[in-house]
Amino acid sequence: MKIQMADNVLKANDAIAATNRKLLQQADLLALNLMSAPGSGKTSLLEKTIPLLGPQYPSAVLVGDLQTTRDAERLDRLAVETIQINTGTGCHLSAIQVAQAIGEMDLGRLAFLFIENVGNMVCPAAFDLGEHRKVVLLSVPEGDDKVAKYYTLFQQADVVLMTKVDLLSVLDFNLSRVRDDLAKLNTRAPFIMLSARTGEGMGEWIDWLHQQRSAVISRR
Amino acid sequence: MHEASIAMAAIEQAVEAARQHGATRITRVALRIGALRQVVPEAMKLAFEACAIGTPAEGVVLDLQEEPVVARCRPCGRQFEPDLQAISFACPQCGQADAELLAGNEIVLTSVECEQDEETAHS
Repeated sequence: MKIQMADNVLKANDAIAATNRKLLQQADLLALNLMSAPGSGKTSLLEKTIPLLGPQYPSAVLVGDLQTTRDAERLDRLAVETIQINTGTGCHLSAIQVAQAIGEMDLGRLAFLFIENVGNMVCPAAFDLGEHRKVVLLSVPEGDDKVAKYYTLFQQADVVLMTKVDLLSVLDFNLSRVRDDLAKLNTRAPFIMLSARTGEGMGEWIDWLHQQRSAVISRR
Repeated sequence: MHEASIAMAAIEQAVEAARQHGATRITRVALRIGALRQVVPEAMKLAFEACAIGTPAEGVVLDLQEEPVVARCRPCGRQFEPDLQAISFACPQCGQADAELLAGNEIVLTSVECEQDEETAHS
């Protein structure tokens, strides 16, 4: 017997993502899905970003990690609400994990919800979490060839952050290669060069966050 | 290895469909996967094999079909197929790379072939 079907295999994930989006839309917050390779500086960026946003814009962080709580411990020091999601062997966050986490949170008091995905440039790109914006990071030490290699991630990005730019002067990094690759993939996403260590570019990133939050809230 | 998540979800849906049709064993499953999903066919087949163990789909044959990518340029509205060889989503009409994806991301279970075990059928 042959059963003809047309079933979306990820419908369970997509349906939960849609519910997450609706729930997040009811609060005055901007939810961001941070995606990048391991070691590109997602946690360091958040450690610098959250204090810069200030207490009048309360943030919370969902941290996806395979096993450890190291990132969550670092963020705990900032006294922000941090929920650790251990994915075990899972290489990406799924909408259900985000649903469980935000179910425990008081979303109404938040201005920003940062979802730090598992460090991986392939799998997280395939799973909608219900976020408002996708933030993709590329750090200088990873090399200038990564945009083309992991193009589906960069094609979807709402903003591309080039991190650790303080290392540009000591590494052979061809910045125009990154710009040329992005010009073919995604001219919509702003390209922000920053260093969490020196603070360079952080102002532009913070401005972008506020603009996007205003845009999301006004569209409610 | 997002192949494993996809395989598990697909097997679950195939088993449910077979159950609704009164079948007890799944012999063949067809999946249509968008080219942008970056699914590696060999990895997908392995994941399927592994995830099917202990289910009515154990030993299932998997047919994979790739769905081409179709995009629409947000600024000018032109519909086009991105040049994946050149890793370019730039619009052939206006040159901007601001593409909304219309196809190429889906993962669709298109058919399930199944049968009823002799014993179950007669009991």
